[in-house]
Amino acid sequence: MRRAMPARRSATRLLAMAGGMALGLLASPARTADVEYGKHLSAECITCHGASKSDSTIPDIHGLGEAHFVEVLRAYRAKALPNPVMQSIAVRLGDEEISALAAYYTTAKRPK
Amino acid sequence: MTNITRRHFGIMAGASLSALGLPILSAPSLAQGKPRVVVIGGGPGGATAARYIAKESNGAIDVTLIEPLKTFTTCFFSNLYVGGFRDYKSLTHNYDKVRKGGVKVVHSMAASIDRDKKQVVLAGGGRVPYDRLLVAPGIDIKFDSVPGYSEKAAEVMPHAWKPGAQTQLLVKKLNALKDGDQIVMIAPPNPYRCPPGPYERVSMFAHVLKKKGFKKSRIVILDPKPAFSKQGVFTEGWEKHYPGMIEWQDPKIHGGIKGVDAKTGEVKTDFTNYKPALVNVIPAQMAGKIARDAGLANQSGFCPIDAASMKSTVDPNIFVVGDASIAGEMPKSAFSANSQAKVAAMVIRAELTKSRAFPARYSNTCWSLIAPDDNIKVGASYEPVDGAIKASNSFVSQRNESADLRKQNYKESVDWYQGITTDIFG
Repeated sequence: MRRAMPARRSATRLLAMAGGMALGLLASPARTADVEYGKHLSAECITCHGASKSDSTIPDIHGLGEAHFVEVLRAYRAKALPNPVMQSIAVRLGDEEISALAAYYTTAKRPK
Repeated sequence: MTNITRRHFGIMAGASLSALGLPILSAPSLAQGKPRVVVIGGGPGGATAARYIAKESNGAIDVTLIEPLKTFTTCFFSNLYVGGFRDYKSLTHNYDKVRKGGVKVVHSMAASIDRDKKQVVLAGGGRVPYDRLLVAPGIDIKFDSVPGYSEKAAEVMPHAWKPGAQTQLLVKKLNALKDGDQIVMIAPPNPYRCPPGPYERVSMFAHVLKKKGFKKSRIVILDPKPAFSKQGVFTEGWEKHYPGMIEWQDPKIHGGIKGVDAKTGEVKTDFTNYKPALVNVIPAQMAGKIARDAGLANQSGFCPIDAASMKSTVDPNIFVVGDASIAGEMPKSAFSANSQAKVAAMVIRAELTKSRAFPARYSNTCWSLIAPDDNIKVGASYEPVDGAIKASNSFVSQRNESADLRKQNYKESVDWYQGITTDIFG
């Protein structure tokens, strides 16, 4: 446990370092992801991620690609990425919830 | 509840809210116009709920927020103001964006709740009708829980446990101390707002004294509890950054807190009489007066709620969120209030507009600053289990963590403050 959730490049690098091959690098979002459910679930994310800037420790997750979003959340769920806040949140997300969140955030705009 | 999937709750939403264990109430007649939600209290719970109901209902619900203050100074992060890490202005927020988000903001004191007529009575006598009411009044201080303490005594011995003038008074007194002066804090009994807060505050006291180069000043914490939040990492940090400066006494050591005398400045325990230069008394707490007067609180002084919805167990038209509620294993914190408000907002919308309802899920993290760039955290996820809100996947900072990690925690906490205040106030 050394860093909070890093920016996306760092997250990907950490994933690789952690041996991410076992963690769903081949994951793809469910085709029938429930975007409305994803929007509902996103209320939990917004508390910390809603005002992120480019230099924030807590990264902006709006507009993230679905596959990347799924990959990172699954890595937190597997505790292959280090932040305990994100681990605690991700551990109770099933694949369906992660897919729904990814489907929502890929097009979501940061709140203004 | 943990394994309920989208398909499960899709069915639940399609069927009824009773699947979530919620009583079914008739929706207000459309002939009466838009359904009306009134929110009492414009803090982390109330303002979040008001904004989310207005935003997510796209104007289908009439939302009124009743808050006497035109600006809101957050209690969370006020310790960083005490320590000189933030200025007071940076903790103060207005309601302009709450208004722009479609919420009618009424700057008036809510005097009482007429539950029979489903109306909130304003201090000026006006009445605001509601179909659903969300009550988020925060805490009131139980002044008489510390013998000799009173609202008047707080002008000399500040509690600074509600944001505003009390916090500024505490800082003024802290900054006037001379080397050798003593600080005594009387810590609160459980349950109270912000479990790690008193100990973070002591850390900030010590930081200010250390920064001034004081060698002789000491801080004594008189605690009615045998243990406190993040105790191991707090005490490790105190030994590291402020060796010999902070003394924590549990009841076995002080023998009982006998009381304070604001006129003489004395603090008495069973074993010792103190006459410190600064006394910070944080008494026991209870739900805000309006909630207690409306009969929403039980003998504990706080308000019982349904774990799946934050609905009052006393009145099915009323929801209670934040520090005033009895939220099971969730601590009383702004993060908790914000999280609870979103669950209540979702259930209220579902009841009033037949929108989809989803299973409740809550979360909380509390960050505490011990010294510059040395920040610790504790948190968990929460959900309803057998009628109570239970914690899962909890975590807490550990002893001997790296300086890099603690610094990262601090940065994270600063970014979180920006995030949550944007979520609350827009």
